[in-house]
Amino acid sequence: MTSVRTFGDHDIHLSLDGEMPADERDDFEAWLEQNPEKKALRDRYQSDREMLVAAVDGILDEPLPDRLAGFARATSAPQRRWSWRRIAAGIVLFVSGGSLGYLVGTYQPSSIVQADNGAARIADRAIEAHVIYSAEKLHVVEVGADQKDHLVGWLSKRVGTTLVAPDFSQSGYQLVGGRLLPSDSRTAAMFIYQDPAGSRISLYVTRDTDTADTGFKLREELGACALYWFDGGYAYAVTATNMTAEKLRDLAGSAYQQLLAAQRG
Amino acid sequence: MDRKRTAIVAEIPHMRRYARALLRDRDAADDLVQDSLERAFGRLDQWREGDNPRRWLFTIMHHLFIDGVRRNRRQQGGGELPIESAQAVATPPAQLDGLQSRDVLEALQALAPERRAALVLVAIEGFSYAEAANTLGIPAGTLMSRISRGRDELRARLDGTYRRRSIRVVE
Repeated sequence: MTSVRTFGDHDIHLSLDGEMPADERDDFEAWLEQNPEKKALRDRYQSDREMLVAAVDGILDEPLPDRLAGFARATSAPQRRWSWRRIAAGIVLFVSGGSLGYLVGTYQPSSIVQADNGAARIADRAIEAHVIYSAEKLHVVEVGADQKDHLVGWLSKRVGTTLVAPDFSQSGYQLVGGRLLPSDSRTAAMFIYQDPAGSRISLYVTRDTDTADTGFKLREELGACALYWFDGGYAYAVTATNMTAEKLRDLAGSAYQQLLAAQRG
Repeated sequence: MDRKRTAIVAEIPHMRRYARALLRDRDAADDLVQDSLERAFGRLDQWREGDNPRRWLFTIMHHLFIDGVRRNRRQQGGGELPIESAQAVATPPAQLDGLQSRDVLEALQALAPERRAALVLVAIEGFSYAEAANTLGIPAGTLMSRISRGRDELRARLDGTYRRRSIRVVE
């Protein structure tokens, strides 16, 4: 066996960092076998590297702190939401500057209004929460659907209005559960639903006394879409990913009617 | 321009990991990320779409990191960054895993900042030597020597840590 070249400590680093040419690797491994103390050094470096990666890897999955999440929000220019031509082709939605009571059962051909920035903040909050929690495998919700009454009672109390967890089963979505979240200095309630394929939607509710009642508004951000509205001092958003505007509108309309019925009830 | 912004925002988790490995303290690390994002958004035209956003952002981060290191050195008349902070532990110290993480992050912090940056880019972020040398603005030879010395020193410090711990246990 003729040795191609002599190896040294330097090559241990090249090999660990993927910088060693492929045709030298076999010779390098053979050299390690003949030099047990070098092999031990390589193994230690390798386990140090694994330890380093393990020590910081979880950071990739941490929710962003507010001051950094702000950069994500700042990228939201309403002009680049869904193509309005595309939406106009498929959408029939009533938009009113006044009471949402008109909305019930009276959809009329119109368009969804574009988000204005102040009011869109609520949608951004809802989208952030949706993106963060709907991606969770193990801890999607704080309280599961098996304790639905407790969940709805608790969130109603904390948010300060009579909530229901709307029934979306006609659209194939079952309640997974809910969470209490901070929203600026207030509390927000979030209900999360899932369809048999595992795709998730959420309803987000928080108190907002500063914004006049509106019709549905659309916001797309971070790959998710929210239809949101203001009604009677509260803000509501239904958020989904990969959903047509029509389907999202149907879900939001259904949520709106069920919430209204509960509050009147 | 919006595509650029979206591409940058998507890098924030990686920027946070890089910053935390460099600085360990969560707030200091997020400060660095925030400053870097502000600078990046202020110079979007310097980044050509199609170029890797992470390399561009990490280059900005490195400049700010080294600026901070120099500022600290001036203020303290030499010496290392005072980045130790009791609650800055990235993982709960309860289990052995946590202990190991804490030890390795502590040992990493003890490396000179330039060495630390080289090791973190290559060993954690998986940059090639060429990419890392480019990001840090140093010749490839310098990068390689920083990496080999960094690994050496890290291992020596970890050996020291474990030795101290076993001595404590024996006492």
